[in-house]
Amino acid sequence: MKNLSLMRLSIWAYLAIFFAYLLGPLVIMSITAFNSPEFPRATPWECLTFEWFSALFQDERILNGIKNSILVGFGTVVLSVAMGLAGALMLTQIWPKLRATYYTIIIAPILVPGVVIGISTLVFWDRINRMLGLEADSFLSNGLFLTVIGQSTFIASYCMLVLVARLQRYDMALTEAALDLGATHAQAFRKVLLPFMKPAIASAAVLAFLASFENYNTTTFTFGEYPTLTIELAQKVRYGITPAISALAFIIVLLTVFAALFNEANIRRKELVALARKEATVEELSTGKFKMPGFLSSNWAAVGLVIVACATVVVVGTATVYSPQQCIADVQEQKRLETELRIQELQRQRELRRQQQEAEQGSSAAPAQSKPAGNDSGFGNVFAPSTLSGDAEEDAGKPEGNNSGFGGAFAPNTLSGEEGSEGSGN
Amino acid sequence: MPRFLKEFFDRNGLGIGSLMLGLVLFWTIGLIILPQLSMLDFSFRPNLPPPEIGGPKDVYTMENYRYLVFGPEGGSQSYNAVDLKVFYRTLIAAIFVTIFNLILCYPIAYYLAQTKGNHIRIFALMLIIPYWINEILRAFALRIIFGETGVLNNLLVAAGIFDTPFDFVRNDIALYAGLGYAYILLMIFPIYNVIESLDRNQIEAARDMGASWPMIHRRVVIPYAKPGISSGCTMVFMLSAGALAAPQILGGPSSLWFTQLIYQQFNDNSDWPQGAAYAVVLLVTCILLVLALMRVFKVNMGDIGK
Repeated sequence: MKNLSLMRLSIWAYLAIFFAYLLGPLVIMSITAFNSPEFPRATPWECLTFEWFSALFQDERILNGIKNSILVGFGTVVLSVAMGLAGALMLTQIWPKLRATYYTIIIAPILVPGVVIGISTLVFWDRINRMLGLEADSFLSNGLFLTVIGQSTFIASYCMLVLVARLQRYDMALTEAALDLGATHAQAFRKVLLPFMKPAIASAAVLAFLASFENYNTTTFTFGEYPTLTIELAQKVRYGITPAISALAFIIVLLTVFAALFNEANIRRKELVALARKEATVEELSTGKFKMPGFLSSNWAAVGLVIVACATVVVVGTATVYSPQQCIADVQEQKRLETELRIQELQRQRELRRQQQEAEQGSSAAPAQSKPAGNDSGFGNVFAPSTLSGDAEEDAGKPEGNNSGFGGAFAPNTLSGEEGSEGSGN
Repeated sequence: MPRFLKEFFDRNGLGIGSLMLGLVLFWTIGLIILPQLSMLDFSFRPNLPPPEIGGPKDVYTMENYRYLVFGPEGGSQSYNAVDLKVFYRTLIAAIFVTIFNLILCYPIAYYLAQTKGNHIRIFALMLIIPYWINEILRAFALRIIFGETGVLNNLLVAAGIFDTPFDFVRNDIALYAGLGYAYILLMIFPIYNVIESLDRNQIEAARDMGASWPMIHRRVVIPYAKPGISSGCTMVFMLSAGALAAPQILGGPSSLWFTQLIYQQFNDNSDWPQGAAYAVVLLVTCILLVLALMRVFKVNMGDIGK
């Protein structure tokens, strides 16, 4: 039995490491959204601030990107769900000999790299545009159009997979029955097949929107004059990152958690209600005394949802009244003191070194080399920064390990990085 | 009208039938086949300014492919060492990312598929949530962690493991971690789906007959899960070889991913045919590699995507 518990322990340890890898980056990124340094970092913690959120909401490009993303997402959802549904229906009816080929063709866009889809879309529609003799700014070379088309190429495949799974459980006899009873084909489609497919269509639409919203590889070739949010984010992340991006990420994480918990709570509630109905007696059901289970009872997702909602309200409430000015001023003051101290320290070291060198030069005639640092390359090497810092550590014997070198001492990163180990208490 | 077309319209009605047919044809031919052919055609053409396209200079040429192998004409080197090295490195790295993901995800997928209970739902939710976050933001999160003054370096220096911050970005560790991170779900789900349908009695039977855990996995679970494993590996390999966001954000300044070369040809050099040629090379090589590996491991094409 000892063996079993050891195994269980290692399974949990593995799960812990796995989920730390999966969720840790998101948690740390969310924390950086509330820390005051200009560069997004979780450690050292300086001041709680909400200014990155206001910076985010004032960013025209981000807002414009969100608008474009929603436009593109909407177009993609409509086009790819329609194509996915048609593709799924066709799969059930196509000539058996063609089915394998057809399936390969419509599944291929999932495996083709997004970059390739973007390029082929761009090249193809550019050629169509030229063949039709249209101008370079025509509808066919419009960024919105190209992005929707490019994204739909592979998102329709996702939709198709989702829809086919549901369609396999559809009884074709239902449509035939409707036709026998005098419905037209359109009516049978609209009143029998579509209602049956509705849940799958809804999940395909959500999936399509999310896939469109986060797509980068394809969009980066097709966006033209309409940069989506992902494109704007990529530009920002590549050329200088700020905690405002963390703030946006935090909002997206929060929305995702909300949606996921809400969905889960709904599913769980349906299960619970079904269970309660099954266990209720006929009398209870008929007299209306049937008691529905409470929304929160044994529904962890609902509990989680309420907790997250409360936490959000508290944070937003704090944000409206909280001002980090004092704290930021304190930190700046501390940084200034820190810098001064460091400069003094460096001057002292330099003085020490100068004295040492003088002493060395005085005794250089002596054969015995009693230097501790092993700096036996002579005078010329003494001014190399690496030598300096190596010596500095040994000379000064400082406890906090100032090994960042002479050159790095004035870099703000180094300063604040070390300050954290000393002054993280405030 | 051919017979099968007539049957098709009889079954679906003229309106719905033609709508369906139109959408499917638009998707398969207009969006999938023709653009790929158009790209292939384009990759064999010289880079001309718009007015000269279709003119006398617009002839088929192998120049773009020659450039990838031999470099610019009259160049100092006999081979295009830079681009070829990037290409080779991309493929090797993508294979390693795939293997890493498989090793990381197989136990998780097995555990999730073979355990029952409420906490499995929570785990599934925790798996899916990161996948809903933007690809760029996920790469950004890793950059915060792996940066020179990032959390990981602060921790390691504080713990005394390193004296100086380790440059994870320049050493490509951040990139590999980011690529692995991005496609975890695509590896777990296919394997999970297959293992979930594995009858637990098979495992019990193997254990009753005295098989050890490694033996059970090697002889029972893995052969059964092979379609899922190959499906996951194919997706992760294709996507990481074709990744653009993670290399742009997490890649070191001196190391490029092949997709970044394509991107440069399109956006910085405005040499579309050259970029198209590189894209064709990437696509064809990846497909051939996947097909070869599928043959080695004896997996059918039909198992992919299940």
